[in-house]
Amino acid sequence: MIADLPYVIVSALALWAIYGLLAIGISIVWSSLGMINMAHGFTFAVAGYGAWLAAQYVSDAGVVVLGAGILTGAVSGALIYAVAFLPLHDKPNFIVRSLIATLAISLLGTQALQWLFGPRVKSLPRVFGNTPLELGEIVITADKLGAVLSSTLLLGLVLLWMTRSRRGLEIRAMMQNPEGAALVGIGLRRTAMSVMAVTGALAGLASVLLSQTFFVSPGAGLQPLVKGLIVALCGGLGSIPGALLAAGLVGITEAATATWLGGQYVLMTQFGVIIGVLLIRPRGIGGLLDETRE
Amino acid sequence: MSWRNPQLRRDPAKGPVHPHLPVGRRRWWPRLRAHGGNTWRRMRYPLTRRHVLWTRGEYNPRNLAAEVRILDKRPLWWMAGLAFLAIAPLLTDDGTILSAASIFAIYAAINLVWMLVIGTAGITSLATLAIVGAGAYGGAYLSITYDWPWWSMLPVGGAIGLVFGVIVALPAIRLEGFYYALLTLGLAELCRVYVVQSRVFGSATGGMYGAATHIPDDLSDTGQLRFAYYAAFALMLCALALYRWVDGQRLGRLLRAAPEKNEAFAEAVGIDYRRARIQVFIISSVALGVIGGFYASHFKGASPSLFSMDSLLLMLAMIVIGGIGKAEGAVVGTLIVVAIDKVFIDLGALRLILIGAVMLVSVLTTRAGLFGIQAQFRAWREKKKSERRARRQEKGGEVVPEEATEIADKQAIYHRRFDKQMRDFLKTLVTDEVVEEHRLKPLGQHSEALSRLTNYFRRGPMADKYAVFTIVPMREYRVVALSGQRGVPPRLVNDRTYHSLGDAYHAVFLLRINDLLES
Repeated sequence: MIADLPYVIVSALALWAIYGLLAIGISIVWSSLGMINMAHGFTFAVAGYGAWLAAQYVSDAGVVVLGAGILTGAVSGALIYAVAFLPLHDKPNFIVRSLIATLAISLLGTQALQWLFGPRVKSLPRVFGNTPLELGEIVITADKLGAVLSSTLLLGLVLLWMTRSRRGLEIRAMMQNPEGAALVGIGLRRTAMSVMAVTGALAGLASVLLSQTFFVSPGAGLQPLVKGLIVALCGGLGSIPGALLAAGLVGITEAATATWLGGQYVLMTQFGVIIGVLLIRPRGIGGLLDETRE
Repeated sequence: MSWRNPQLRRDPAKGPVHPHLPVGRRRWWPRLRAHGGNTWRRMRYPLTRRHVLWTRGEYNPRNLAAEVRILDKRPLWWMAGLAFLAIAPLLTDDGTILSAASIFAIYAAINLVWMLVIGTAGITSLATLAIVGAGAYGGAYLSITYDWPWWSMLPVGGAIGLVFGVIVALPAIRLEGFYYALLTLGLAELCRVYVVQSRVFGSATGGMYGAATHIPDDLSDTGQLRFAYYAAFALMLCALALYRWVDGQRLGRLLRAAPEKNEAFAEAVGIDYRRARIQVFIISSVALGVIGGFYASHFKGASPSLFSMDSLLLMLAMIVIGGIGKAEGAVVGTLIVVAIDKVFIDLGALRLILIGAVMLVSVLTTRAGLFGIQAQFRAWREKKKSERRARRQEKGGEVVPEEATEIADKQAIYHRRFDKQMRDFLKTLVTDEVVEEHRLKPLGQHSEALSRLTNYFRRGPMADKYAVFTIVPMREYRVVALSGQRGVPPRLVNDRTYHSLGDAYHAVFLLRINDLLES
């Protein structure tokens, strides 16, 4: 049991990276746009197909596949922005209607993908090569190492951009108070567009990373969406540190459960952990933002 | 020859043609002839004080005939719709349509119960199908393994629903809004994964089949389908009764008074919203469990597709298309989606795309689905109307048609129209010569034009009528405006002082001319 510990740590780290990418996307969208993006899973699936198409028709070099995935994810995010946010954001009952609209996009998009590409799953080429890294007894497979490194890199870039750049400042202002941000001259629509594109790009990266272990399929977005949502929820919607903490917690739970109890108990233990967290802190680990939004 | 209304158009063959001009905002209400003695009679449900039909007895102001006005036509639509659903299966023996019809009835029942949570209580719970599925799986398991009869599945489903109801109700008190929606979504996903992987619940065969059923074997195929439909229809009627019972009574009112974000207000007026929410969760979960048992009995088993995201989205599409918060929305939305799903079955995956597109369009364009369109259209029309009224530059005191329907005294409308025409004509008479003539001879013998003007001024209403106020006789005069109200003194119009009565009269005349030209 102890012998599995390094393996558990490595997989927990990889899962942490991927869940972090997904949950931060959902969390940022909720706090800045006030919209729960249920079509995040659709972005995920679309980015997988984008990467697959690039690998088929352009080149299967790692950079191209990753870049195609990120780009398709960003385009898909912009599409969701145009369909669900833009027409609804100044209408009554925006929150529930945008939730339903993104769910509808998710239904529509998943079926459209199935119609276009067929139900058969596709596999992506190995982006990070096949040579595992050996540290003493511990063997870290290339995809896990690549996942941790690339997502840390992209997350770091995004966080840097959020904290240092002008646009990041605008986004943070919008997270604190949308009306106040609009009053000091921050364009709500323009900022929302960049938020959706960036979170779409994050989902695209997560999609390519996760497709190293799983496959690309029309319904592939559902599991990551649910995981991303519950992680974002557990971390407190709108809190980036909270989302990262929660991603770590959920990743450790998943890796530990899968190794020591068996794969079918993963969701149950995860839910146990999350319900426990939510019962202690009903707005998640870092979540205080709901009150400030009102 | 008697008097003829010149505005009434006449058809030489038929006599006068009464124009029905669609002007104004008054709504059309159906009216029935009645007897004056029955004006206040109501039909009520036995042993209650509730009306079957909301009516009002009144007298037609034109001919004083006693009439009954139906203020809420929805019960009539419900009766017509349910009567159609009751006889519809007898009109066809197409197997596809009949089986689609029973699926419609079951889904409509689920949606009606779900509407209690999502519409009446306003809590976005996505665990509905999970509860139905749990009831169905529990019933099917007991029926297959221990050979229990079909009717036992209903209470078994209800008991499982009760357990689930307690599980989903507890977080509902503490969590709010999205946290709750996501948690219930996760619960559904958890159930799906568990069922797909569990050997007891048929992970190998993709579901559990072979449960007992209420549909008798000895009927013909069409007969079985019709029997299944009528059973499902009865289930839907029960769900409708439950909806009515919860939504229309005390519990429903408490819940509608305490929607999300308004809990503090509700608590302040003494509503125990936590208790009300737990009650509605438990009632609806038990009902959903019973429907789950019925589902297992209807389909002779259960399949994991009940828990899938796609089914959940389809159910949500039904509710959203029909309109959240209305029973008719749940039923008609289900009808639309099931029709697209089962009738266009040749389209394959395209029909789900179609459903998604309909859902998207309805959520993007309507505020509350199909049955909110009427209210939304009325609000839009009112908005346009008031915009138009605000844009109308020259009204000149005349009554615009939108206003006309709201003025009971029609004489006033005609008077204002006449007055406007009069003023338009009088404005043409105001010339420098007329003013000069008045200055020279304020008290008359006037020309025709000037006497028409002064006659009009004399006829004006008392309020704000100009008058001459003598401060020192023969030396000092000022112009005042009368208040038109007894006991309220006149006000000074300006600070000019006139030294002869003639000057003061002329000043009053000039003020009135000025007002006339400005109106």
